[in-house]
Amino acid sequence: MATIEIHGLSKRFDDITAVDGLSFTAREGAVTGFLGPNGAGKSTTLRMLLGLVTPSGGTATIDGNRYTELDAPFRRVGAMLETDAFHPGRRARDHLRILATAADLPSKRVDAVLEEVGLADAGHRRVKGFSLGMRQRLGLASALLGDPTVLILDEPANGLDPDGVRWLRQLVRTFADRGGTVLFSSHVLAEVAQTVDDVVIITAGRLVAQSSLANLASRSRPGVRVRTPQVAALHEALTKRSIRAQLVADDALVALDSTPETLGLVAAGIGAVIYEMTREHFNLEEMYLELTATAGALR
Amino acid sequence: MRTLISAELLKLRTTRAFWAYVASIVVFVPISVALSITVANEQNPLTTSDGIRGVFSAASSGLLMAVLLGITMSAGEFRNNTATPTFLITPDRTRVMAAKVAAGGILGLVLAAVSAVLTVAVATPWLQARNVDVDLLSADVITPIAGALVALALGVIFGIGIGGLIPNQTIAITIIVVWSSIIETFLTGFVPEVGRWLPTGAASALGGTWTSEGGLLTFWAAALVLTAYCSSAAAAGTFVIARRDIT
Repeated sequence: MATIEIHGLSKRFDDITAVDGLSFTAREGAVTGFLGPNGAGKSTTLRMLLGLVTPSGGTATIDGNRYTELDAPFRRVGAMLETDAFHPGRRARDHLRILATAADLPSKRVDAVLEEVGLADAGHRRVKGFSLGMRQRLGLASALLGDPTVLILDEPANGLDPDGVRWLRQLVRTFADRGGTVLFSSHVLAEVAQTVDDVVIITAGRLVAQSSLANLASRSRPGVRVRTPQVAALHEALTKRSIRAQLVADDALVALDSTPETLGLVAAGIGAVIYEMTREHFNLEEMYLELTATAGALR
Repeated sequence: MRTLISAELLKLRTTRAFWAYVASIVVFVPISVALSITVANEQNPLTTSDGIRGVFSAASSGLLMAVLLGITMSAGEFRNNTATPTFLITPDRTRVMAAKVAAGGILGLVLAAVSAVLTVAVATPWLQARNVDVDLLSADVITPIAGALVALALGVIFGIGIGGLIPNQTIAITIIVVWSSIIETFLTGFVPEVGRWLPTGAASALGGTWTSEGGLLTFWAAALVLTAYCSSAAAAGTFVIARRDIT
């Protein structure tokens, strides 16, 4: 059982800062979704945690130890980072046999994980002929080989069909319910919303939010969408009254924590014409988009 | 360390590309024997010591392919992204490189032994048919075969080092092929006093590939020079890989 701790982690590549003073924790017995748009620094963070990329600053530890300091790390931490970390001409089973040999694991683990990810019948096939979903399963098999207590997955749902996604959800859920620690990244909140306990949201290498999913959901508020040709004037009038609003189109905005009645009054006050007004539930996905967009714009 | 060496050897055995390299090395041997026997004439007769050495130098004819095979052992990990799982299992990258060097040395010795057996099997009856008596225990046979064992083992290790320095496999292979077949051939041909100190020149002295008057290094000097090249390449390749970000 283990806790992942990221503290003040930074990485600069030549002229870009990929990760910028990032801190968060992933607790044991929970699935932590690591979210952010493409290029937010998720993969770089996971690679620093796994000792593949050297941080420019800060620390990333598993139960207080750096990955590279762990004794037999493969037996404690399983990771899947790429969908194509295989020699295309090698048979799936041979790929796992090599890992098992290097990690000094019994070869019966190879058959066990092939079975577990549903590739028992494809083990003799060369990876070249595998679909993206099968490669993901083989990557997961590699991660599970050492029977670890920590699972770190980078975009594991990419390329999986709906059945595969459901299977993956059950797998990580069971893993966490047995006391394991799961950290997995995604750029789509919807993909993880049904699976995760906690979320860590980053953008442009910085932490935007860390909270439990339940807490994040409770922060989602109702809003009102207004379509008007005087969208800028209405936005200004709402801001004066401390009503938060977001431009969503050339002629539309969404006012948060507000009601159609209030919006109507404010619009009438400035003589704005309203073409359309609808109540909107400001859902988790929009909240995620708003969080990542605002923080990105601040930079 | 033994498990890591086994894993490296297993990596080799489980791809078809490896067996294609082995096949090409094996095919080079009889071709090389045939060439040196058929080009023999009054000026370069087979009956001399140099003539016999020339024929048995076929045992090291797979040297360039052995170097390229070494490159695929290290640069190939980046080409196929297998560097990620490899270094996840063994975060100490120096140990991984040490295992590659050990596995590469074993591989080079096996390739040289196979080449040597094949050379003897093809050359001996052929020479006898030409009425050339060969004493298989003479220095003219033993020296090029011993040279092949040293050269191929060092050659694979040299390739591993180069592949670590230049992780782009295609570029690394191109550089080595161009260097050894064009630049070094030119230098050894026109400036032999420089050429004999270069890797291919030293390997030729070991294998007995050529016996020009330009003067190659002696066997032991050549073995030392080649060891120096190959350990520098392996050390530099390991240094670079140990510090690289695996992205």
